[in-house]
Amino acid sequence: MFTSLEPSYILHSRPYRESSLLLEVFGKAQGRVGLVARGARGPRSRWKSILQPFRPLLLSWTRRGEMGTLTGADQVASPPALAGDPLFCGLYANELLMHFLHRSDPHPGLFDHYSRLVTDLAAGSPTQPLLRLFEFQLLRAAGFGLQLDHEHGGREGIRADAWYVYLPESGPVRRDATSGQAEELVSGAALLELKSGEIGEQHLMELKMLMRKLIRFYMGGKTLKSQFLFLQS
Amino acid sequence: MNSEPLLDQLIEALRCLPGVGPKSAQRMALHLLERNREGGKHLSTMLDAAMERIGRCRVCRNLTEEEICLICGNEKRDKSLLCIVETPSDVMAIEQATGYQGRYFVLMGRLSPLDGIGPEELGLEDLAEQLNNNPPREMIIATNPTVEGEATAYYLQRMAQKQGVAVSRISHGVPLGGELEFTDQSTIAHAFSSRQAVEN
Repeated sequence: MFTSLEPSYILHSRPYRESSLLLEVFGKAQGRVGLVARGARGPRSRWKSILQPFRPLLLSWTRRGEMGTLTGADQVASPPALAGDPLFCGLYANELLMHFLHRSDPHPGLFDHYSRLVTDLAAGSPTQPLLRLFEFQLLRAAGFGLQLDHEHGGREGIRADAWYVYLPESGPVRRDATSGQAEELVSGAALLELKSGEIGEQHLMELKMLMRKLIRFYMGGKTLKSQFLFLQS
Repeated sequence: MNSEPLLDQLIEALRCLPGVGPKSAQRMALHLLERNREGGKHLSTMLDAAMERIGRCRVCRNLTEEEICLICGNEKRDKSLLCIVETPSDVMAIEQATGYQGRYFVLMGRLSPLDGIGPEELGLEDLAEQLNNNPPREMIIATNPTVEGEATAYYLQRMAQKQGVAVSRISHGVPLGGELEFTDQSTIAHAFSSRQAVEN
């Protein structure tokens, strides 16, 4: 099977044999794909500087079975490289994608979200709202979308002035603000912001706790290594 | 194979070297046996001794047969400069190419969350301890200009700044003898944005 000039990002690469690379690629129409880039680490490789994460690329490859072979790589644009905290955030997003996406499972919508995330991170937008939104979109694409239309077990819509505990796999359950599960409580306003995609400064902490809990739940207790990058500050 | 078992084992053993496949392993084994037994014996004693005796420097973690490597033990070297590199071969590269007279710290890898390598796996608390007990005047970060290398550099930079140590990063850009026309966009962009004022 031949794939030509597919808009893609590289999620991860590692050395393979003498001078090749094993790439994990997120392609728009193909989803996550494993590719071998032959000779990419060699002294005369044209690909060496192009095959880096967080760059919009057009990749071509042939594939039979699980792994494909890279046949062409072009850089579309040269966005400012991620550095500092945005770089850590990008690595975190890549680790999430590697964990939640299966190979050859296309997610064109999520690809666009990821592309926007990388562009916004590079442009220096505040990282936290971007990450929350991306986590929300990623969970939805992976089939673990949040249920934010109504309360769990009822028809009543979510009220901005009420407090909830979000149960994974079920939905928001209304609680008293004084019910003693303070760290798990999330305000209706925060949930509504998440749903609308416009996350304000005020609810960032609640949403961070919520998403952390859900991601931990769906990862089955595994931890993400990139979280340790942030611990120091 | 129908050949001698010991010969087979030797060929198989040689394949642990990088870039050596079955064919070259066979050539090497036959060469040593047919034409250079002396060399082969010497190789085997050297290999044995090196594998037994070479370990890591207690200070910089570079490869050494002593407890403290020659660079760290050299009193003439500048203790106020500390250069952070990813691998021992980076130390060799810098030693051969530059007149750098400071000390090193070898990470033995880089931060790469997707490979399961975080600050703990790199043993960065060793470095933090050194920065704390024995702060250098300047810390030179010489990790590779890859995404993981950059992430490592940023992490190290924050570590050093917490201790109040000045940090510099080796520059990257157009290679000597290279031509702009054939240099990739990102490198040119980087070289351009980190241009230097020319001093008279």
